[in-house]
Amino acid sequence: MKDLSAQLERTIGIVLRVGVTASTICLALGLLLSLVGGGAISSALLNIGVIVLLATPVARVVVSVAEYAIARDWVFLTLTVTVLLELLASVVAAIAGRKV
Amino acid sequence: MPVVTPTLASIIFVAGIVAGSLGALLGLGGGIFLVPFLNLGLHFPFTAAAAISLATVIATSSSVSAGRAGKQLINLRLGMLLEVATAAGSLLGGVTAQVLAQSTMQRLFGMVAAVIAVIMLTRLQRRNVILDPNADPGVLGGRYHEDESGGVVTYQVKRVPVALVASFLAGNVSSLLGIGGGIVKVPVLNAWCGVPLRAAAATSAFMIGVTATAGAVIYFGHGQLIPALAAAAVLGVQLGSWGGMHFGQKAPAKWLKLMMAVILLIVSALMFLRGGR
Repeated sequence: MKDLSAQLERTIGIVLRVGVTASTICLALGLLLSLVGGGAISSALLNIGVIVLLATPVARVVVSVAEYAIARDWVFLTLTVTVLLELLASVVAAIAGRKV
Repeated sequence: MPVVTPTLASIIFVAGIVAGSLGALLGLGGGIFLVPFLNLGLHFPFTAAAAISLATVIATSSSVSAGRAGKQLINLRLGMLLEVATAAGSLLGGVTAQVLAQSTMQRLFGMVAAVIAVIMLTRLQRRNVILDPNADPGVLGGRYHEDESGGVVTYQVKRVPVALVASFLAGNVSSLLGIGGGIVKVPVLNAWCGVPLRAAAATSAFMIGVTATAGAVIYFGHGQLIPALAAAAVLGVQLGSWGGMHFGQKAPAKWLKLMMAVILLIVSALMFLRGGR
């Protein structure tokens, strides 16, 4: 049990670091390009940067779901799946707003 | 929606540095300063200001938690449980933000800023709850090594329903107003639920990424999160909070907190003035 927690914490740390680094690089490059003239590449980089930023916490919930499933910790599996469903609901609310 | 220019991006970048370093020094996110600057100072629509601020909140939460992972300071189990409540609150806040009038959101922000100022003033001499080192942490409690005392701190979590309600409110306020919401959770977890301050702060910062994402996604879908300006703010806040953590003292001086409480009261008054029209 304790081992899982320590292991999960390390995995989550890696997911968060990779996500935040990737999004920061995309945002920085995109912003620099947009300042020297913009264009399709800069706006693509900026959008990718924002999407990676938003996907990072989602990815760490997905990792938690997987770890709790492997450990057969049903209580925490239920909790993390619920959080994931709530995040999906916000994506649905976002897509609904797009059509308006 | 504001038009992106190099000047505007630079202004927001600098504002991000200031908000990020102040946030790191005070143990707050920078959102509470960034939102009024964008909304009152630069006249952005409130939703655009909140959306940009939420993007910075997610970046701060992710990088701070990545740095802390492995130190056992973050209470993962408690965090995963309370996230169910913060994400629900945030989802509701993000949907509500689409229908509320700007003046209503400004008045709400004014109220929350005033409450935060009062919390800061009453916690100038905050102390940890007294802990029994031999206690059994239970399912939700935790155990971590404290660098200052060199000892191991063990704690149990009490009054879980209170923590859940506070988390729901924090999540709601977070996505509605574009702030992290740690200021709502941390005092409650510390004062009423038996979680030591440092563990409460680390666990709250950990949850904030998921919480803010539930709201930010909705703003993004509605076209209120402008990527170029979010980029400028995120980069500024990252730089500012890095600087604040490396060059600032760990425990903020009393006068700094006092000054911030006064600034928050002024921000609160300005929001009420603007929202009252």
